[in-house]
Order: sequence, then structure tokens, then C-alpha cells
Amino acid sequence: MQQQASAKATAEAAGDFESHGLILQVQGLTKRFEGLIANHNIDFEIPRLAIVSLIGPNGAGKTTLFNQITGLYQPSEGSIGFDGVDIIGLAPHQIVELGMARTYQNIRLFENMTALANVLVGHHVRLHAQWWQVVLGLRAVREEEERSRRFALELLDLVGLPRHYADDLAKNLPYGDQRRLEIARALASEPKLLLLDEPTAGMNPRETRQMTDLIGNLRKELALTILLIEHDMKVVMGVSERITVLDYGEKIAEGTPDEIQRNPRVIEAYLGKQATV
Amino acid sequence: MVAAPREGLLRRTVTAGLVAGVVLVYLSMVGLVEAFSHRQAVTGIGAEAGPGLLTLGRVMIGGAVFLGGLILSGRLSQLAAPSAVGRLMVVGGAALSGLIAGSVLALFVLVVSVIDVRGVFLSVTPALLDYLTFDQGPALGALIILMSLGIISALAGGIRLLGLQDRGAVLKALTAALLISLLEPLLRPILGQLELADVNRFLYAGGGLTQPAAAVILGGVAAASWAWARPAAPLRQRVRDLPGEQRRMIGIGAALAAFIGLLILPQISTGFVSLVLVNVGFFLLLALGLNIVVGYAGLLDLGYVAFYAVGAYTVAVLISPSSSAGGPITELVGTAWAFWVALPIVMITAALVGIFIGAPVLRLRGDYLAIVTLGFGEIARILFGSDALRPWVGGPGGVIGLPNLQLPVVGFQFTSPSQYIYPVIAFSALAAFVAWRLANSRTGRAWNAIREDESVAAATGVNITNYKLLAFALGGTLGGLAGALFAVQLRSVYPGTFNIIVSFTVLAIIILGGMGTIRGVMVGALILVGLPEALREFGEYRFLLYGAALVAMMLLRPEGLFPSRIRRAELHEELPPEEQEQLPKSGGGGLAVSAGPISTYGPGSQPGG
Repeated sequence: MQQQASAKATAEAAGDFESHGLILQVQGLTKRFEGLIANHNIDFEIPRLAIVSLIGPNGAGKTTLFNQITGLYQPSEGSIGFDGVDIIGLAPHQIVELGMARTYQNIRLFENMTALANVLVGHHVRLHAQWWQVVLGLRAVREEEERSRRFALELLDLVGLPRHYADDLAKNLPYGDQRRLEIARALASEPKLLLLDEPTAGMNPRETRQMTDLIGNLRKELALTILLIEHDMKVVMGVSERITVLDYGEKIAEGTPDEIQRNPRVIEAYLGKQATV
Repeated sequence: MVAAPREGLLRRTVTAGLVAGVVLVYLSMVGLVEAFSHRQAVTGIGAEAGPGLLTLGRVMIGGAVFLGGLILSGRLSQLAAPSAVGRLMVVGGAALSGLIAGSVLALFVLVVSVIDVRGVFLSVTPALLDYLTFDQGPALGALIILMSLGIISALAGGIRLLGLQDRGAVLKALTAALLISLLEPLLRPILGQLELADVNRFLYAGGGLTQPAAAVILGGVAAASWAWARPAAPLRQRVRDLPGEQRRMIGIGAALAAFIGLLILPQISTGFVSLVLVNVGFFLLLALGLNIVVGYAGLLDLGYVAFYAVGAYTVAVLISPSSSAGGPITELVGTAWAFWVALPIVMITAALVGIFIGAPVLRLRGDYLAIVTLGFGEIARILFGSDALRPWVGGPGGVIGLPNLQLPVVGFQFTSPSQYIYPVIAFSALAAFVAWRLANSRTGRAWNAIREDESVAAATGVNITNYKLLAFALGGTLGGLAGALFAVQLRSVYPGTFNIIVSFTVLAIIILGGMGTIRGVMVGALILVGLPEALREFGEYRFLLYGAALVAMMLLRPEGLFPSRIRRAELHEELPPEEQEQLPKSGGGGLAVSAGPISTYGPGSQPGG
């Protein structure tokens, strides 16, 4: 698909941050909310084409980290380099344009728009039609619209959403399919890095298995790098190559799944608070 | 009297009766009943000489009770058993609620016949009492009120029990007769102009429908409705069996015919009708513009009148020779071209004002945005009327002496409303076209995304700053355009015109018609602006009408009269039956999207991914 070509192009034009094939490089990131330190001095990187998981007990600061990477929050200190560009201070839509897309822990679709329209909004950054061109009904606009529509339908296929859902309101879709739709919307922006915030939350074992397969497939078929926040350890251990563990806003461990499972600090963090894993 | 055995039934009945009674007293006290007391619905009923008793004021009272009985019996028939006893309960319940409503009104009559409340309620006159009691005095009159309203409500209950087809026929016939009677002041001159004096004489006899006309209308509409709704009606079946292409052609043909009718109408009717239509057109333009801001982008702007004012004043200052600036454009290009040269300047100015107003409120959402824009609207009105700007825009006296609108090359001058209607229609059509094109485009989707969830829209790649400003600018442009046309049609501008009521009216139009749809906006403008102007009796009660219409709307049909399919689904969370039928072909077993609550777990996701 298009991503591969564009990923290559930007890799060549890489700047200071780009080294050793890293797509994301977070350095010394700190976020304070009026006295509360949500993230403290986090160093963190993602190699290109990897699937990396971010885990940690509730309130460890995972989603806060996500929100800073995607530009929804401005960090108090530190730097974030994405694909060779310093993205601190960029608006969220500019970061999307650079090739980053995300989903949300509590599904946040455009509920009263159709499933197809949700995906088309995702494609927004890759389209060019201006309002006056739309009003004039230029042929280029109509062709782009048609292409975009076909692309969106293909994405519905890719994430496994039946096409007859295309014209249904997003909020009327079953829960699991809403999660898939959110992924389709994110993919529509043709990202290089996809951030998934608890993609299997609230799913039954069968849906969870399907979602795990989907995540693996996406990387293969779209040449994506994926960063995952996840609580289901089966998913985390099954799908990711590297894992970063946060606790109380700080990074306490990093490594392969095997290393993480044996790491005493991780075991303490988890067993100390919630006896899961 | 059948007392409802179930508490729920009785409670509903009593509540409905009391509500209807209070409505009746209210209508009487504000003077609306008396305003309609001089026009007859059907002439010569119940009186051998002189005006008949079936006047529109009484029809209003009876109609309110009838409607109440109809709604109540609908609820009751859902609760009651489908047996003879159940049916009796429905009719009895309706009758009881009518009696309760009647007793409230009767009590009102008795009380005010003893205690004079005219010091406070100016409309509660002896004439009103005589009117309500059919000149029979308070005691007998109260009895008449009680009995007649009980009977009317029972009739409504009886009609509810009819089959769908029969009920539809009766209700449509009654509505049609009422409408034709109500629109007499509008229809008579038109028929006169068409030299259809015979039709006129057949239909109307000095303030009301003639009895034969009423009979023909009732019978005709009922028969037509009945025939159309017959389960195997050949006509409906034939229309439904037509291939989609042909059905669309019929739709386009009907729209085209309506449009041509609209074009001819000003020529065959009085100037009054044209004036009403021109006013509807201004508000249609405003509503189309505000619809972009509120309906598409979800930015609740309560100060939209500011753009109307900016458009009107800009064009006035630019082209009126008697303005302080001396009408620079008119001086430059002459009166023929003045408006057309000024128009782009007006639109750009309005767009800039849109951006100017939009920029500081970019970070505000919902209620806060509404309050701030409300302030902007008032600031505009006060500024234009202020002494500070007096040297430029004339203060309270405004700007006068705008030249007539002209078609330059042809040399045609627009002078009367029946001529101004054409540029108004043309610009409205243009605005509707622009709005329609934008609705289903990259731009429209970006707006909708902002409306749904601003921060997610941003994180999905929409530049929310630009798109919000674009919505304000485009909405402002259309508002300014409406203002420019308004100024040049009136040939003068006064600050008093641009009060907050304009903003509210435009918003009410959008809400009534159905947020975000163009067809809904058209119907909304016709009902909320056209109707009160056409029926002068309503004139004073316009805002009462708005309020009542909006409250009723929010309770009964919150999606508006002509909602988009999406909006309807959003508010009722089920698809209309005809669309439900088409769904389940997909084979996915429990994929009923229709009835489920929002986030039920899917019974089973599709295999494969």
C-alpha cells in the first residue's frame, strides 16, 4: 500500500532524532498536573515495524503518555521525536499528518455519523478537496471522493467489519465492532505508527483472540509500527516484541516479554497492588 | 361513566384533562381565542341569521381538546385490553378528560364572571365571556362548555379506535378543511387574480368556508386518503412498483413543479403574498447560513443577527448616496451596477466579521459559546445604533435612500415585492446548493466530526481551528448576503431591526425543520415566518406560537419535521420500518442494529479478520 512508499521516503529524509531505525524516541518526558506528577522523566523508544506494549497498574500514567505523544497534552519537560521530527508543540492534526494515529481506551467514535463517514474522517488528512472546490463540484474532487470511499470500504474489510455496516450509525454497532471501526478510522490516516489504547478492553475471549490476530496482521500487511496499552497479559506476551512497564508515572522496566515476566520490580508492582497477571 | 380500573389509566386521564383545561384557559386569557372569534370556520352553522357559531376561536378550543383526546386515547389504547371493555375504557377515558378540561374552562368562566380581573388580564373581557358561553350566561354557558368538550373528546377517542386507514382519512379531511378555511385571506386574492371567481364564491362566503365547500373538502380528502391508504390500493401499489429511477424522476418532477409554481405565484397573487414570501426568503437564507454553523459544525451561535446587520449596513453605506460616505460604489459605477459591485465586498466583510467573532471563541464549547455569541449579537445592534458610529451609520435613524436593485445590462428595476422575490429565490437556491454540496464532502464531514467530539476530531487529523473559522466565515457570508438583500429591498436600514429576536427565530427555524437538513430549513422558514405573517391574527402571538411549537416539537418529534435519516435514527434508536425490512438479508444472525442499547456486546463478531 501507499504507506510503504511514504515510510521509505521519510526514512531517507530523517533528521536528528532518527537513529538505529527508531520511529519514536521519547526523552526525559515529564508531565505535571497541578502538583501531581503523572509522568516522570520517561525515556522510551520504539524501533520501526515493532510491536511494543506499554503496561502498568491502573493510574501508572500510560494514557497520559499516549496523550502527550499524540499532542493532546503538552509535556512539562522532555522531548518527543517522531520519524525524525521534533513533535513537541505541534497540533494533534499535524502529528496525524506526520503519520501517527490512535484509538481510545473508552471508545470515542463520531457516534452520530455513519461507520463509513467515521473512516472517511480518518482519511481527511490524506485528501485535498478544499471547500470551494467542493462547491464547484470539480472533477478532481469527485474522483478523490470516490477513491476515498473505496479505500474506506477496503479498510472495513481489513478490520473485519461487514460492509453492510457502512451506512449504520457508529453508535449502533455492537461493542466489538466499534473497536474495529476505531482501528479502521485510525488506519485511514495511513499511519506509520499506530497507538492502540486497550484494544481488547471489555471483549470476551473469542473477540480478544480475533483482535490479537488482527493486530499481528496489520503490521504484516501495512508495514506498521504498533504501540499498545494493554492489561490482558496473554495479549501482551503473545503479540509484543518489547514491553515497557510504568508504575507511579515512572518507567520501572523495559525488555522482551521473557525478561519482563522475570523482572522482580514488575512482579512487585503488580502483586503489590492488584493480584492479577 | 366508566371509571378506569387501573390507576395508571385514571392518572393519565385526569392529567390530560387538566393539561387541556389549563391550555384552554391560557388561550382565552392571552386573547388568542378572541382574536379568532370573528372568523367562521364554516359559515352559517347553528344560526339562522347573521354569523354562524362555528368560528375559528371555538374551533381552536374544540381542536385543542380534540387533539388532547386523541393523544390520550392513543396512550390508553396501548394500556387497555383489546376487548369491548377496553374500547369502552378508551372512549370513556377520553370523554372524562374532555369533561375535566371543560370543567376547568367552565370554572374559569364562572370565576371571572363574578370577579373582574381585567385590571391585570386585559383580554378577559365580557365579550370573551359571552363568546365562550355562546351568549347564554355563565351558568348555562358553563354547562354547554362542559358537555360539548366532553363529547368532542369522546369523539376523538372513538376515532382512535378506528382502523389506521379510516382514522387517517378522518383526520386528514379535518386538517385539510381547517387549513383551507384558515388560509382564506391568502387564497381568496389568489383565486381572484386567477379570475376563478366561481371557485371563490363556492369556497368562501365572507369570512368562512361555505357549507357545500366544507362538505366537498371533507368528503373529497377523506375519500382520496382512504383510497390511497387501502392496503392494496392500485395507485400506491403502482407507484411503489415503479423502478427506482422512475420514482426519482417523479420526485424531481414534483419538486420542479413546486418550484415553477413558486416562480409564478407572485405574479398571480397580491403584493401581500409576495411580501410574505420575500420575508420567508430572507429568513431562509439566514437559516441556511446558521445551519452551517450550528447544524453542521455544532457551534451554537446565538448572535447570528450580527451578520445580518453587517450585511445590511455594509451595502447601505456603500451604495446609498445619502449615507455619510455618499455611496462610494454608486458614485463609482452608477446605480445600475452599485449593488452587484458592492455584493462581493459585503460578503467578504461578513466573512471577515465571522472570523473576527469566531477567533476569540475557538476554545469555547457548548453553553459558553452560546453566551458569548449572544453578547456579540447584542454588541452589533447597539454599536450600529450608537452615537459613536453615528457619523458613519446614522445612529438610531439608520441609513436611508438606497437605490433600487437593478439588472444592469437589461436595465430592469426591481421595485415591488413581487419582483424582489426573484433575486431572493435565486440567492436562496444558490445558498441551498452550496450547503448541499458541502454537506457530503470532506469539508462537511470535518464539521460533523467537530460537532461530535472536538478533541477526537483533532486527533483524527482535522484542523479544528481552520474548520471552525470556515464555518463561521461561510455562515457569516450567507447572513451578510441576506442582510444586503434585505437592505436593498427595504431601501433603508435601521438598527432596531437587528434585535436578538432575529437570532432566535432563525435558530427556531432550524430546530423546527430538523437540524442539518436543507428541506427542513425550508419548511421551518415557511411555518415560523410565513404562517404568522400570512395570518394576521397570529401576528401578536408569534412568539407564543414559536414557544409552543418548539416545546411540542421537543416532546413529540425532537428530530424536527424533516430530519435527515441519520438524525432520526439518532433520536429514536430504531430504523423506520421500511428500512428495517431491508436489513436482515446479510445473514449475520442477531445483527439487529435497530433495537439494542448503544453498547451491547455483539452476540458474535464476524468470523475472520
